[in-house]
Amino acid sequence: MHADAVVVHDHHGEHDAIDVFGFWLYIMTDCILFGCLFATYLVLNTPHGPALKDYLDLYDVLVETFFLLVSNFTFCLAMLALNQNHVRRVQFWLFITFLLGASFVFLEVKEFIHMAGEGFRWDVSGHASSFFTLVGTHGFHVSCGLIWILFLIIQLPFFKITHIMRRRMTYLGLFWNFLDIVWIFVFTIVYLMGAL
Amino acid sequence: MHQSGDAQPDFGTGQKTLGIYIVGFISCVLLTILSFWAVMSGLFSKMEVLGIIFTSAFIQFIVQVICFLRLNTQTEQGKTNVMSFVFTLVILVCIVAGSLWIMWNLHYYMM
Repeated sequence: MHADAVVVHDHHGEHDAIDVFGFWLYIMTDCILFGCLFATYLVLNTPHGPALKDYLDLYDVLVETFFLLVSNFTFCLAMLALNQNHVRRVQFWLFITFLLGASFVFLEVKEFIHMAGEGFRWDVSGHASSFFTLVGTHGFHVSCGLIWILFLIIQLPFFKITHIMRRRMTYLGLFWNFLDIVWIFVFTIVYLMGAL
Repeated sequence: MHQSGDAQPDFGTGQKTLGIYIVGFISCVLLTILSFWAVMSGLFSKMEVLGIIFTSAFIQFIVQVICFLRLNTQTEQGKTNVMSFVFTLVILVCIVAGSLWIMWNLHYYMM
């Protein structure tokens, strides 16, 4: 087992490893971006102006959370299929991941439109602005991830499964999982605390 | 559980096995339901609910990092990943706790 692993780590592997580390550092800086937005949200979370509580439907948030959680799991299944070199199966699981992610974004946009219609617009108070900035930035990241997934689905049959595709899938895996981790804190701090 | 792709390079992101993903997925689902139930059932006082949801979020965070991100210190790259991760956590604590502390103080003196 160890001897095999050494043979596979030719210098492609080493280059890819450095690239993946670079992507990991990007994810870490993104963490800091979200940290700043969370800090802003918490500081501006004052009792003045309309409260988030009155415009919130926790069932919607629960469904969104499950869409994201399941999409994370299906992405992992795509990674397993990638390791077994099944192009079709990787495409299938990526497509399921895409559908779940798209449903998440759709629900979130619907929720935003509903809130804005009811009077909780981004310009009514600092609290509302920070809410839309934080949740919107997360939604924007998810949307970028969705476009990325589509690109990979299209690229897979052309590139076949090479070390390049493996590296790209590893990037996307880190990114997608990172978004799910950020969402844990979004639903805990913004929605659940907001509903109390 | 031996996957046929075990010898693939993992870029310091750990070996992929179905078992660990299922464990991670199920525990995340349970913790999420626990958090939502604590808030929606209305059975607990405010402080209890805050305690439950933050503990649950923290455990879920650890589960995700271990089961899905597969952070580990077995390889050289795994170690550098973990080190940059810890560094980021330190920065995050400074930003979030620092902001709250300063703003709370300002608020206190303005009253």
